[in-house]
Amino acid sequence: MQLKFASFAKLVAIGALTTLIFVVGGASPSVAKPWWMRGSPSDDGDFLPPDVAFRVGAHLDGNVIRVRFVIADGYYLYRRKIVVEADSPDLSVSAPALPAGVLKTDPNLGVQEVYEHGVEAAVAFSRFDAGAHPLAIRVTYQGCAEAGLCYLPISKILYPEGANAAGSASLPIAVPGAAAPGSRVSFRPWQRVAILGGLAAFVLTGLRLRRSSRPLPAAGG
Amino acid sequence: MIERSLKFAGMLVVVLFGAWAGTRTYLAHRAAPTDEPLVRVAAGEASPPSKSDAAVESASGVLPPARVPARLPAFSLAGLDGRPTPIDRWHGRAIVLNFWATWCAPCRREIPLLTRVSHDWAQRGVSVVGVAVDHPEAVARFVGELHVDYPVLTGEQDALDVAKALGVDTPVFPFTVFVDRGGDVVALYLGELHAAEIDLLLGEVTRVDRDEESLEQARAHIDAGLAKLASAPAHP
Repeated sequence: MQLKFASFAKLVAIGALTTLIFVVGGASPSVAKPWWMRGSPSDDGDFLPPDVAFRVGAHLDGNVIRVRFVIADGYYLYRRKIVVEADSPDLSVSAPALPAGVLKTDPNLGVQEVYEHGVEAAVAFSRFDAGAHPLAIRVTYQGCAEAGLCYLPISKILYPEGANAAGSASLPIAVPGAAAPGSRVSFRPWQRVAILGGLAAFVLTGLRLRRSSRPLPAAGG
Repeated sequence: MIERSLKFAGMLVVVLFGAWAGTRTYLAHRAAPTDEPLVRVAAGEASPPSKSDAAVESASGVLPPARVPARLPAFSLAGLDGRPTPIDRWHGRAIVLNFWATWCAPCRREIPLLTRVSHDWAQRGVSVVGVAVDHPEAVARFVGELHVDYPVLTGEQDALDVAKALGVDTPVFPFTVFVDRGGDVVALYLGELHAAEIDLLLGEVTRVDRDEESLEQARAHIDAGLAKLASAPAHP
């Protein structure tokens, strides 16, 4: 009356495969391009929202706040539009130290220095509040898409990672990785457990079947 | 018999689990495809931090579709002389309503094209109207430097409100709205226009105005035409 191990493993394997099919299928919903949103001459896709085109995070590195921008392919930020200011009380910050950018010549705006792909600004700071307030900076930046679209200047309050002790009111700041959002499928822990469990059951079922297999009697004597 | 029932029940459980997991993943990705929500502040100049602002959370991989209204909404913005200018001043004419800013390079590149269009199409019942989302002084200086001779309205938050009413919630420039002489919005074009695109769009607006085709037909032709242009190697 007991369920055999192989039968149970088969069930788990089927479950895992079903999960995988639904998860992978569900992770990439296709989005049709509406007629009135066409605007990208490259046809590489629609324009990105500003927070996807330009991602920003900040972390503390000794006496310096490092503000890191990750810029999507085909987009750029103007160097002169990157501004970092103190936001929390009793904080002073220096002008951001930025590396040399790429020179871009525009017939109307002249030569402009821009950043593509990413850039990190180093901002020296002094705080005089003895840690009474969460360290906060205001970062302003402005950029465009090569395909011919510009975004209004964006201004954000950042709470640099490592600056505010646990329990403080820091906002969830992530220094983004190099991968463009949406370019990979990420799985949550419970999804990983389901998939790995299913795969393990699949392998164990195979081993079990192999062990229990016996040579067939010779046909015809 | 019992073993068979247990097998069936077990299979049902794992299949249901799979379906649940898939649905949950689909909904999670649809709601927030970007897995790194940063500070929740909308795009915009010096926008204050706000945890309740869900602009980033709702951001998908591409700009959210604009909710383009069927008809041009009524609005009034300051002209270069500072006087309020209602858009219905151009009532009865087809309108190319171009939103731009002086600091925006692709916007500035469009200006000579729009100037030419305003001359070439004036006798055919088409008016070009610029909406500069910028400080009035900067706009006036720029318009003088580039000899822009079509009407330009200016505004800051009020102009952004008009953009929003046209369905462009995320402030981006340039974008251009093509309106037929009856006030119906034929198309909204996001990004820098080139000669071939504007000729295509205005051709369709004109055909609608002459009752040679319906709005739906014009939009289908625009869709096909823009797709064809997008696949072309380069713009003139």
